[in-house]
Amino acid sequence: MAAFTQTVRSAFTKVPRWVYLTAAWVLAALFPVLNALDLVQTAWIRVGVLSLLFALLALGLNIIMGETGLLNLGYIAFFAFGAYTTALLSSPKFDLHWPFAALIVVSALVAMLGGFLIGLPTLRLRGDYLAIVTLAFGEIVRLTIVNVPTLTNGPNGITGIDFLKPLGPGVTARLQSAGLPQAVSNLLTIDKPTEYYYLVLVCVALGALLLSNLKNSRVGRAWNALREDELAAVSSGITASRMKLLSVLLSSAIAGFAGSLYAYYSNVISPESFIFMQSVIVVCMVVLGGMGSIPGVILGAIVLQALPQVIRESAGAARSEFEVYRMLVFGVIIVAMVVLRPEGLLPDKLWRGQAHEADPRELERTRQTLFDLEEGEQDLEA
Amino acid sequence: MIYALIALGYTMVYGVLKFINFAHGEIFTIGGYVSAFTLLALGVSDSMSFATLAGCLLLALLGAVAAPVIVGLVVERVAYRPLRGRSRIMPLLSAIGVSIVLQQLIILIFGPTPITMPTLKIASAAVSLFGVRVRVLALAIIVISALLMVALSYLVRSTRIGKAMRATSQDMEAAEMMGIETDKTIVFTFIVGSALAGIGGLLVLMYYGSLKFDAGFLYGLKAFTAAVLGGIGNIPGAVLGALVLGMTETYGVSMDLGLIAWLVVAGLVAGLYVQMVRVPRHRLLHIANDRRTPDYERRIMNVYRLAPYHAVKTLLGERTDALLSVSASHAVRLTVGNIFLAATAAIFFINGSARIDTRWQPVIAFVVLMVILMFRPSGILGEHITEKV
Amino acid sequence: METILNLDGVSMSFGGLKAVDDLTFDVTRNEIVSIIGPNGSGKTTTFNVISGLYEPDSGDILLKGESVAGLRPDQVHDKGIARTFQSLRLFSNMSVLDNVLVGMHSNSKSGLVASMLRLPSVRREEAAMRARAQEILSMFPGRFSGPRQSQAAGSLSYANRRRLEIARALASDPVLLLLDEPVAGMNPMESHELMEQICDLRDAGYTILMIEHDMHVVEGVSDRVIAMDHGVKIAEGTYEQVANDPLVVEAYLGKRSAHTAS
Repeated sequence: MAAFTQTVRSAFTKVPRWVYLTAAWVLAALFPVLNALDLVQTAWIRVGVLSLLFALLALGLNIIMGETGLLNLGYIAFFAFGAYTTALLSSPKFDLHWPFAALIVVSALVAMLGGFLIGLPTLRLRGDYLAIVTLAFGEIVRLTIVNVPTLTNGPNGITGIDFLKPLGPGVTARLQSAGLPQAVSNLLTIDKPTEYYYLVLVCVALGALLLSNLKNSRVGRAWNALREDELAAVSSGITASRMKLLSVLLSSAIAGFAGSLYAYYSNVISPESFIFMQSVIVVCMVVLGGMGSIPGVILGAIVLQALPQVIRESAGAARSEFEVYRMLVFGVIIVAMVVLRPEGLLPDKLWRGQAHEADPRELERTRQTLFDLEEGEQDLEA
Repeated sequence: MIYALIALGYTMVYGVLKFINFAHGEIFTIGGYVSAFTLLALGVSDSMSFATLAGCLLLALLGAVAAPVIVGLVVERVAYRPLRGRSRIMPLLSAIGVSIVLQQLIILIFGPTPITMPTLKIASAAVSLFGVRVRVLALAIIVISALLMVALSYLVRSTRIGKAMRATSQDMEAAEMMGIETDKTIVFTFIVGSALAGIGGLLVLMYYGSLKFDAGFLYGLKAFTAAVLGGIGNIPGAVLGALVLGMTETYGVSMDLGLIAWLVVAGLVAGLYVQMVRVPRHRLLHIANDRRTPDYERRIMNVYRLAPYHAVKTLLGERTDALLSVSASHAVRLTVGNIFLAATAAIFFINGSARIDTRWQPVIAFVVLMVILMFRPSGILGEHITEKV
Repeated sequence: METILNLDGVSMSFGGLKAVDDLTFDVTRNEIVSIIGPNGSGKTTTFNVISGLYEPDSGDILLKGESVAGLRPDQVHDKGIARTFQSLRLFSNMSVLDNVLVGMHSNSKSGLVASMLRLPSVRREEAAMRARAQEILSMFPGRFSGPRQSQAAGSLSYANRRRLEIARALASDPVLLLLDEPVAGMNPMESHELMEQICDLRDAGYTILMIEHDMHVVEGVSDRVIAMDHGVKIAEGTYEQVANDPLVVEAYLGKRSAHTAS
């Protein structure tokens, strides 16, 4: 039996990694086809869109958490920055209707500005303090959204966000009036779940590609070095403040980008979507998938976003009770993963999860130092 | 003042393990819930005789201590102990997970509605003190906190186990080699910390009459703020921090923005003093004697005093001189900070007549937390920092 | 001979304790200078001050005549001082090769966006860096060959971790190399081998300042030896001169003889 598992395992590891990855992407791309064939309901496509949106978010958090080793517990605030920027500039609220291309950039920039403001003074803090400061920041952002109704409609949120028109409303209208065939002009407005699904899938794929390039580059290595040992990293010429800020800026830009897409997709946004628990859920996705592993965090996001839906469908539980169990499971997952498998489900190649391991010779040296110190004290007394 | 009891627990655990026990707030809530449950089950009411009532309350106190201690021990064993020696963020992550699990368990066991304790006369009794009516309970809370603070200080400073705690905190490995049972010491710390949180839970419940399942999150964070404010790991500091935070929250909400603007202006003055006088003086100490020419000193002073212009010029032009270029980038940062303060003051002055709404009360604690962590992470009374290089 | 490093009256104290007291010495090009002294004599503090981890309370540190006192560690590294640590500080969850590549951070310049897009310039730089890293790793023949390079640094043997730290420091082609107890914890054979490699480095044109307890190694490689005690330089010269200096003998043995006397 053991031999059999061994054979199976080695057979699995023999297949190169890229085969699995390609297969995963192809499957993801084919998913809506099932819907077209009436094999799955449209609701599942919606679940898919949200899963992918969270995958994008988890990719962003992974930069700061997995690569640079800084825990950010207020990450959802940057998502909120992006979502609210888009919502305010393309809804009846101020009767502004900016084009998609401009908004997606502006949303990312606003989130980056937020990251810059919070990052500049706090990044020299130690890891656990930084986590708490970001948590406080996230809550301040949310409470501000709730408390400034003139700008944000407070707890009611913003409704009636424009449809996503990739070419902008003006061009789209002109093209449509120019008498394009219905099928083509329909594509100029992204409003169906399937269309969103592909849009977000492309974004995730692009993000994964760019970020994996970054991983094996000078910047990525500098981040990893800071994560492993900041003192050694700065002694190797890495400017800690600049590199950390860069990491915060990139991750908040991704969150802003994802937030913008989310605002378009959901049409309505309200502060409820940006509570502390959401930050924790994204953290959970990264931990589950494997900190620092790009396929890992995407998988983590999909599992944690889609799995609860699957369970709910099959169990048919009432909503409130279901929420409780869902959060319970999230909590258990975090603890279990951190304690039992800190490298995650799909770990990064080298992650060993042990920052310090006791070397017998090192212990011997410590003992020697202690002994020397004691001897020194005795000398002083004598 | 309630924050003080919870803050003491935070400080104890942090002091020994150098780790933020995020689940501490939930342990506090459990204390409150269990004591309320006990009181409800016993069916206490004012019609009971004093002795029975006292007995019931004692029983509730017992529950409020026992349940958190048991939970604290289990959590330590399952979620924290295996992570000892890992980087700082791993235990923190685990603690967040624990916090969520505990919160959901409370909902599952007691339901999502807030638990209310039976109305009792003692809880609402009040006495007149210097012409102000004060609830007896409030006084009791203050006295209990003060007593516990003194007791804890004694415990840590003067007893055998206190010594073991301090040694464990300094260097776990070395303490172990010297024959200290670090595991037992840590367990003991958790017992004390959880018991404190439990008592806090009971008192909050009696004071406010009810407790919601997610109360622990906010109370926990505020208590953490208090602990950091006073200097985490420092026992009198936790109480002081709790007092300061409580005052800020109470008086902060009724303050108008004009007043805060003046506070910011005070900060700005301090900032300018640091930039113009203190820091340059400090810098001048670093000049080696053979380079200490009046001209060089003036250049360094200029970089700070006329920061925007000279500092940028220096940064762009003279990279070769270490002291000057470091001073210049330093000066630019200080200037940016001061400009930021000035802008904040200006914004507040413009809205000078507006008052801070009570809706912003939770924000105050968070702002205090952020500001203190940014500018003085060691807190008012200082944290005992022993970082090894 | 060109002076590479020049410490001029450097003092550093922690609280009331003067860890380094008015320390002055030079290191000239292509020289190996060893600092010796009993535990707590301020050797590692000296290294930390030179490499920018501490800012000296007073005094100046000149690298090729240019002041580096008060610069941040990364700026000091940019100026050309690379170091190793007594208590091994490798990036344990990164590969051996990546550890060396991190050492080249200051010598490369690919930015965030360019790296994300993997522009041709980035690829060229990356290829050049990898080639150079191979060259550096091959200085330790047989230790970091083939598959070893993609292994996590934390999984290496103790001696190999010490070697990798040196490789990482060398990666930036430093003007001055600081080695903090390079042979600590190695067995005699390993330390002998490393001794020869340190000499090879000098022959290759590097300038080295090192702290070492192993007198055999100090004797074998040093052009000059500086002895410290209680933060003060008590002797300087060739190994023979320093080893026979009465102050040095007292610093090392004095305590013990005082002990027997009492």
